[in-house]
Parts: sequence; structure tokens; C-alpha cells
Amino acid sequence: MSRKILIVDDEEVIRKFLKIHLTKLGYEVQEAADGEQAIEQLGKDDFDLLICDVLMPKKDGWQVIREVKSNPKTKDIPVILLTAKNEDSDMFKGYDLGVNYYMTKPFTKAQLIYGLKLMFGETPGEIRA
Amino acid sequence: MLRWTAIIVTSYLILFSKGRVTDLHLSNILIFIYLLSNVLLSFFPKRWFSNLKLFYPLVLFDTGVVSFGMYLSEKMTTDFYLVFFLIIIFASISRNFKLLMVIGGITALLYGVLLYSWGLFTKEESSSYTLRIPFIFIMTAFYGYIVQTLTKEKRQELTISEDKYRGLFENANDGIILLRNPELRIADVNREVEKATQYTEAELLQKDVFALFAPEEVEKARDYLKEVAEKGGGRTDHLSLMKKDGGSLEVDFSIKRIDLGDESFYQLIFRDLTEQRKLEKKIRESKRNLEAIFDGIRDQVSIQAPDYRILRVNRAVVENYQITFEKLINRKCYEAYFRRSEPCERCPVSVCIETKQPASSIMKLSGDHTTLQIFSYPIVDEKGKLLSVIEYVKDVTQEQRLQEQLIQSEKLAGIGVLASGVAHEINNPLSGIIGMAEIALEEEDPSKKKSYLTDILECGQRINEIVKGLRSYSRAAKKEEFGQVDLNGVLEESLKMVQLAIKARSVEVIKEFQASERIQANLGEIQQVFTNLITNAFQAMDGKGGKLVLSTRALEDFVEVKVSDNGMGIPQKYLNQIFDAFFTTKNPGEGTGLGLNIVYRIVNKYQGTIDVDSKERMGTTFTIKFPIWRAET
Repeated sequence: MSRKILIVDDEEVIRKFLKIHLTKLGYEVQEAADGEQAIEQLGKDDFDLLICDVLMPKKDGWQVIREVKSNPKTKDIPVILLTAKNEDSDMFKGYDLGVNYYMTKPFTKAQLIYGLKLMFGETPGEIRA
Repeated sequence: MLRWTAIIVTSYLILFSKGRVTDLHLSNILIFIYLLSNVLLSFFPKRWFSNLKLFYPLVLFDTGVVSFGMYLSEKMTTDFYLVFFLIIIFASISRNFKLLMVIGGITALLYGVLLYSWGLFTKEESSSYTLRIPFIFIMTAFYGYIVQTLTKEKRQELTISEDKYRGLFENANDGIILLRNPELRIADVNREVEKATQYTEAELLQKDVFALFAPEEVEKARDYLKEVAEKGGGRTDHLSLMKKDGGSLEVDFSIKRIDLGDESFYQLIFRDLTEQRKLEKKIRESKRNLEAIFDGIRDQVSIQAPDYRILRVNRAVVENYQITFEKLINRKCYEAYFRRSEPCERCPVSVCIETKQPASSIMKLSGDHTTLQIFSYPIVDEKGKLLSVIEYVKDVTQEQRLQEQLIQSEKLAGIGVLASGVAHEINNPLSGIIGMAEIALEEEDPSKKKSYLTDILECGQRINEIVKGLRSYSRAAKKEEFGQVDLNGVLEESLKMVQLAIKARSVEVIKEFQASERIQANLGEIQQVFTNLITNAFQAMDGKGGKLVLSTRALEDFVEVKVSDNGMGIPQKYLNQIFDAFFTTKNPGEGTGLGLNIVYRIVNKYQGTIDVDSKERMGTTFTIKFPIWRAET
């Protein structure tokens, strides 16, 4: 049974290429375009990883993470934070909230794989396959 | 009373010598005239007799009437007349009653001896001769009495009049010294002299008059006296006296020669000027101080009459125009300063003349790049009539330049914030490009590859848009010169830029652009105003979504712009501080505290106004008004 990942980003093109990469790596991927959608999907389904943007309409990344971490059902889901802001303060804020990994846009596939490896303690799909 | 007794006794003596009163003799008629005239005279006011011109004829008349009566009674001999007249004359001249009585007594005695030696007492009519002796004495007493009474009356009157003048003399506010001429001894002084010199009258009467002057002025005083002595007339000057304690006394001095009867005096009158001098000194000092302050002000200050004539200028004006003081005075200010034929437009002096209220304005001189701030302030008299206007001209070129620099640096800071926002905005499509490119490289399927490349292209175009927007913004920001600015366009542009920098897509933006009027301004600066305000509005809504209303409408002379958000609002306690420089509620490093201050400065620069209306948790509305640009202005 493949791992299930939720991508939350308001930027369509980012969701698109992340999905292609992750699918190729053998993960099951779901998308959400904003924070509210993300919470909704998290309630419906169980996920193994959350990849979340910070700046989003309606509910931003921080709020999503706070809700995830305060909900006993979802608090153990690892989180990779995506951000266009390359600022230390954001990074520390993220770690304080319980974010497991932090990726600054733009990022490459190699960075993504490294992050996944950290999260799951295994080399993702391709290598396994 | 005594006078009457004397008259009646005299009359009876005469009548007795004749014998019968009832005889209608001429001598009786004369006696009657004499009595009547004296009765009548007693009704005349006393002071008529003080006059000697009236007194002597009266005495002569009386004497004549009495003598004639005696002659008619044929009882008189020549020697008697002689003695009689001598006594009258002596009585008239002498004022000493006692001496007169002694003389009268001796004369009567001598006459008695004379008559006896002539053997007249033994004759038949001896009783008539015997009677002459007391008669002489009584006549002497009578005339002596009259003379003395009149003299006394005169003396009393003199005393009264002297008291009057003494009072005036003593109570005069000026010091008066009488000097005897020519020995120059002090004859009299009044109380004011005592008070002023601190010497008593007794001391003064013993003093040399020149010892009263300050040592260095003695010669001067001597010269004055000499001058008055030689040329006559009076002499007035300032001198200083020396008081008993050695202190000096500034006085206004006048010397005059006066002659009183045989005696000649110098009248020295002086008025203590010490207090007056002190006041004058104070006035002079305060005048000097004011002049020093006036001249010390490095900005140009001039005082204009309500008809624009220059009344006074300070040194800064003279130095600035390199012109002499005299060439400026009484010329119209607009001619002298600006070579114009009529008052300058928007001149605060004109405003002041019209309204009697202080005014100010900023003037940019076309020739050099000088900016002047001109203040005017009215001087009115107690009835509120405008006397003159103070014009205070401050060269604010440097200040203006600094302000522009401040605006510029704030703009740069703003661009910094913008740049980080823009970097973020670019990072999204850039991520897309990199991500999609990696996928495309691995993709074999041409159609899929094509779709990936299309995504890459789209991302590239988005980046292009952002860069274009940034460029137009920075171009506007760089623009220095004035122009007609369309506020709606500026709002659009600013909004776009802020949206790039702050990703808050859930903010609903409502635009209500109703004004098409333009304003005269520097585009970059106006853009800065609205970028700052819109940024603040977005920050106030803190990405939580909200409503931003941008509206413009034309009022009579102004274009009104409202930037309204429904964000967190400004706490009441901060409302009066928000436009202050370096006031910020943001964390250090997040805000400069200059944003709204710059907004305020720019709005002010264009004679606009800015108002804020805010309720906590309800939102904030900034209302800005700029004067409408019209072709003719």
C-alpha cells in the first residue's frame, strides 16, 4: 500500500509538477488549493505526509499546521513546509509549530527526494522500484 | 473806630476855638464836608487806600479842608502852619509810629516854649494859643495812626501774597535756588532742593553753589552763569548735581536772571531727571535688544505698511539683496523684492492685510531653485486697526531638499519591501519553471512534453508581467518633474504593486472611481502615498481576507480619495501619533515608522489634507484631498 500525500498550494503549476514527481515516485497524491480545502480533505482521509505552502488565501499555511497539530487524529502526520520566503524567522516559526522539513521555492526534484527520505526514512519510489 | 474818634475830636477842637456850633459860618460847612467825605470814604474798600496815589491826595485834601477851616476861624498864625505841615509830611514818609509820636511830643513842647518865649500866653487870647499845643500832638497822632494803619493793611496783604508765592515756591516739583547777584550766595532754596541734594536748607544757605555740582560740571555751570550774566536771558541744559552722599543726580537745568526791586538774583531751576533717565535708558536698552534680535534673525524679516510699503528690514534682507537699507525703505515690497508691479499671487502679506490674521505660504522662485516659506503676522493697534505686517521669509530650499531626500529614502525602503514581496511573487512561477523543466526533461511523450513546456512558458510570462509592473513603478518613482496626475491610474498601479508584494488574494477590492479630474504633482510621490496606504490596508487585514475600497470623487476644488479597509483598525490612543515620524507599532525591522509620515508630508506639499477615521476591529478609512489642477492656475 503506497503512502498518501496531501499537497496544499494555491499555485496550480506547483501542485501539478509536485504531483507528477510524487506519482512517479510511487506515492498516492491528493491536492488542495487553499487552507480550507486542506482541512476538509484531512478530515475525510488519512495521510502519511502533508506538503503545505505558507501564503495562501482563506487559511494560510500556519493556520493549517496549527489545526493539524492540535487535532489528535492528524497530529502525527509529518509536514513539509513550502515557502517562497527565504527567511530564518519563518523557518523557526515553522519548526516551533511542529513542521518537520522546510523547503524554499524554487526547489529541485533532488531537494524534494531528500525531504521525502528524511520524512519516511527510506529512499522514495524510483530507487525502491 | 479810633479813626472816627480822632476825626470827631479834631472837629470839636476846631469848633471849640470858634465858640458857637450853630453859626452858619463857612468853616462849619467845611467841617461838615470833611466829616461827610470821611463817612463816605469809610464805605470804599480798604485796598483802595493801599494805593499811595490815592492816599496822598486824600491826606492833602483832608489837611487842606481842615487848614482852610482854621484859617477862616482866624485862629492860626504862620508858624503854626509850618509846624503842622512838617508833621503831616513827616507822618506820611515815616512808618514808625512811636518815633512819630516822640517827634510830635517834642514839637508840641518846643512850640509851647516858643509861644511862652514870645509871651503869647499872657495875652488875652492865650487860651486859643494854649490849645494849639495838644492840637499839634493830637494831629501827629492822628496822621501817624492813619499812615500806620494803612501800612499795616498793606503789609498784611503783602504777607498773604508772599505766603501764596512761598507756598508755590516751596511746593514746586522742581528745585529752585535763588542766588544773590553778583556775590553768588545762595539766598533761598525750596524743599525740592533739600530733597534732591539731601542737604538741609540751613546747610545750603551756607554752601557755595558750585559745590552742589558734580566736580566735572562745575566749570560748565560757571560758564552758564557767566553767559547769563553777560548776555541776559535764560539758559537750559542737562547737568549733573552731586548729592550729599556723593551720588550724582541728573537734572535738567535752567538759569535766569531776575531783578526784584534793587536786588538782582539768579534763579536756578532744576528738575530731577534720574527716574526719567532710568526710563529712557530702559527704553533705549529694550530698543537696542529688539533691534539686535531683529537683526540677529538670520531669516529675512521685514515690516510692511498695509499699502505694502517697506517700513523696516533686518540685516538679513539687506545682505540677501545686497542693497542699502535706504533703497528698500518706503518701496513696495513686491517691487523691491520681486520686481513686480503688483502684489505676488498667494502672498501671505496680502492675506494678512485682508484678514488681519497670520498667514503663510511656500513660494518657489522661478529663477534660482530657491524655495521660500513666507509667514506674515499682523501688528494691530488697540482698536484693532492694522498698523503693519511682519513678513518673515525663510529660505527652506535646504529643508525642502532634505525632505525630498527623506521621501526618496523612504521610497527606497519601500522598494526594498516591495522587492522582497516581488521576489516572493517571482519565486512561485520560478518554482513552476524549474519543476516543470525537470519533468519535461525526463518525459519521452512529446505531447506531454509539449504541455509541460506550455506551463513553463506561462510561468515565464507571469514573471515578465511582474518585472514589467516593477519597472513602470520604479520609473514613476524616479520621475522628478511635476505633471498632471490621474489619481485613478495611480490607484490602479499602486494596488497592483502592493498585491505583488503582499499575497492576500482573499481580499476583495472594490474600486469606485468617479473623479476624472487631475492634480498637479509629482507622479512618483503620489504613487508613494497610495502604495503606502494600500500596503497598510492590506497589512491591517493581515491576510485574513477582507474588503478594500478605493474610491475617488470630485468636490468643488478638490479630488477626494478614500482608502478604506475593514481590518484591525487603529487603537484610539495611537490616532494622533500615526503621522509622526518613526512612530510604529510594528516590530523593529518590520517598519520604518516613516510610511504615514511621508504620506503626510507629500499630501501637505501639494496643499492637500489627510484625515483618518478608524475603529478598532472595524477598519480604517484614510481620506485624502488634493486641489484639482485647472488649466488656468
